[in-house]
Amino acid sequence: MQITRKAFLKSIAALCVAPMAGVPARAEGGGEILVGATVPMTGPLSLTGLQYLNSLRLAEENINKTGGINGRKLKIVFEDTQGSNSTAVNAYVKLAQETKPAFFFLSSYSTQNLAVSPEVKKVQVPAMYAGGADAIAEGGNDWMFRLRPTDSVAAAGMVACVTTVLKARKVGILYIQNDFGQGGAASAVKALEAQSVVVVGREAYGQTDKDFSAQIINLRNKGAEAVLLFNYPQDGALVLRQYKALGMKAPLVGSSSLYVTATMQLLSPADLENTFCVLDTLVDPAMSPRMKDFIEQYRAKFGNDPDPYGLAYYDGAFLMADAMRQAGLDPAALQKWLLTQKSWDGIGHNYAYDSKGNGVHEVVIVKTKAGSKALELVKKVTLS
Amino acid sequence: MADFFQLAINGFAIGGVYALAAIGFVIVYEATGVVNFAAGQFVMFGTFAGVAALVNAQLPWPIAYAAALFAMAAFGVLFFLLVYWPLKLSPAVTVIIGTVAISITMQNAALLVFGSWPVRIPSPLEGMTVEVGGAVVSVHALLTMAITALLVGGLWFLLHRTSFGIGMRAVAQDVQAARLMGLKVGRVLAMSWVLGALLAGAAGLLLGPMWFADVNMGDPVALKAFAATIIGGFGSLPGAVVGGIFVGLSEVLGASYISSAYKDLISFGIMIGFLFVRPQGMFGEKIQDRG
Repeated sequence: MQITRKAFLKSIAALCVAPMAGVPARAEGGGEILVGATVPMTGPLSLTGLQYLNSLRLAEENINKTGGINGRKLKIVFEDTQGSNSTAVNAYVKLAQETKPAFFFLSSYSTQNLAVSPEVKKVQVPAMYAGGADAIAEGGNDWMFRLRPTDSVAAAGMVACVTTVLKARKVGILYIQNDFGQGGAASAVKALEAQSVVVVGREAYGQTDKDFSAQIINLRNKGAEAVLLFNYPQDGALVLRQYKALGMKAPLVGSSSLYVTATMQLLSPADLENTFCVLDTLVDPAMSPRMKDFIEQYRAKFGNDPDPYGLAYYDGAFLMADAMRQAGLDPAALQKWLLTQKSWDGIGHNYAYDSKGNGVHEVVIVKTKAGSKALELVKKVTLS
Repeated sequence: MADFFQLAINGFAIGGVYALAAIGFVIVYEATGVVNFAAGQFVMFGTFAGVAALVNAQLPWPIAYAAALFAMAAFGVLFFLLVYWPLKLSPAVTVIIGTVAISITMQNAALLVFGSWPVRIPSPLEGMTVEVGGAVVSVHALLTMAITALLVGGLWFLLHRTSFGIGMRAVAQDVQAARLMGLKVGRVLAMSWVLGALLAGAAGLLLGPMWFADVNMGDPVALKAFAATIIGGFGSLPGAVVGGIFVGLSEVLGASYISSAYKDLISFGIMIGFLFVRPQGMFGEKIQDRG
């Protein structure tokens, strides 16, 4: 059988156009609305990743129960980012090319967010993320929307704890050696120096390190009156145990991962004495009826307590649903709608997006109640 | 001085664990010529055997530890039968790749069974500390050092003072000659995997209360144990011990006196230095007949 040149070119053109034809069909048709979520479901980062995997599933269920998006069901398709940046990029690209979702959720790890950011820029579909590194937003990617405070906001909260709650004048910093820890430590140094607080030492550790005695002893010898800790969940628990074992008396102020559920279950109330934590928000039933409802649903469905990361993505899913209801599924319209939100009422925060896609500008300082692991609010810190 | 003492004790304790994992490497390598890249996951399995016995089954301490070690010995036999034996006639590189594949399988199997959340394993000496020379030292860390020393001594006795151990060394030197001399080579090889698994299990049980039980804990241990065997000399028992303690001390003291940001660079830099200057390590033979 002979194929003419014209017929051959037509079939090639059809093959090229066919995949693109599927995009509007999927986004604008009457079936399910697909949303892509790249989440660390396995590996060390899954400690917090499973929180937002669960929260997104709960949000999907609740959004669909209440009529979905203008009558259409929402379906979140998950891909595992594991613990590496390259896997995170592959997971995103796979979703973008195969699932072609109308919206994305990325992981809460800054290193993965930074790695995926160029791809998000190419795909031009809005993506919500929860990594704290300021560098993500500074990169000028208009398609990324942050669901949590930036590291500089969190660092400002930690500094406020040191200066106004603890009134310490000499501070040591211990940080995990990656984009999150280094960025957080650098922001804290800047904020502390602006308030004439002396940073007596900065000590780093690797993500897989298990012994922190050298760093803790160094900070003690340098006379730290308080220690700021930029940590991930498991290493935070180990640092705290060794901090107590070495007899450190200086109060320790941890970043948000110190008090997440995955960390708390490894620690005793005694381990947590004389520690503070700067969280996005206090996930406590007493905060509001909506918070109480979310906590109860989460506990009933997954058998453990939600943490601020889980809540951030839960809020994010409802924010996305509102955006789709009001602006439709066109990526540019969704992007524009999100940028105009200056007081979207979530459970954890009032989300107010700036031109860089940062939506949360407040943190809370919390500590544990004496002899228990229950948290109490010390102070709320809001930054412009 | 108290700080130096404190750091040195911590370095010895962590180095002791690296040493046990490194000995596991060495025993298997010496007997079979295989570099077991699943060695770190053997340690992780040891820790989780402890989790199953102590945390899940709530067995009393001695029974729990015995059950965990028995499980590890059985795992050594299984590993020998299902991984090493079917591949024994394959080129060494095939067996090595097999251990890498099994390492990934082991990690994922643990993830499926135990989940991704770390578990806190209690120590029989939980919270007990002693003050030595102004340093506050955990009794569990001292116990780790003592048990490491005891196990190394026992292993030396087994290899040099018992007919079985001498048989193991004979197989390590020349399998054909050992077979011709009437040694049951298969049994000796199986025993070397059992010993490797037992030592890794002991390291895992000692590590559990110091770190946390975590399905991802195997890789960092394997990397440090590998560095220890290179520094001490691949195939050398004393080398594995000295190398392990050297890595533990260089990590802790390097972080304190040089830079915490570069502490891994210090350990692995020393390892690379050895590969350049003295590739046979501190105690290794100058001429290697296996690679």
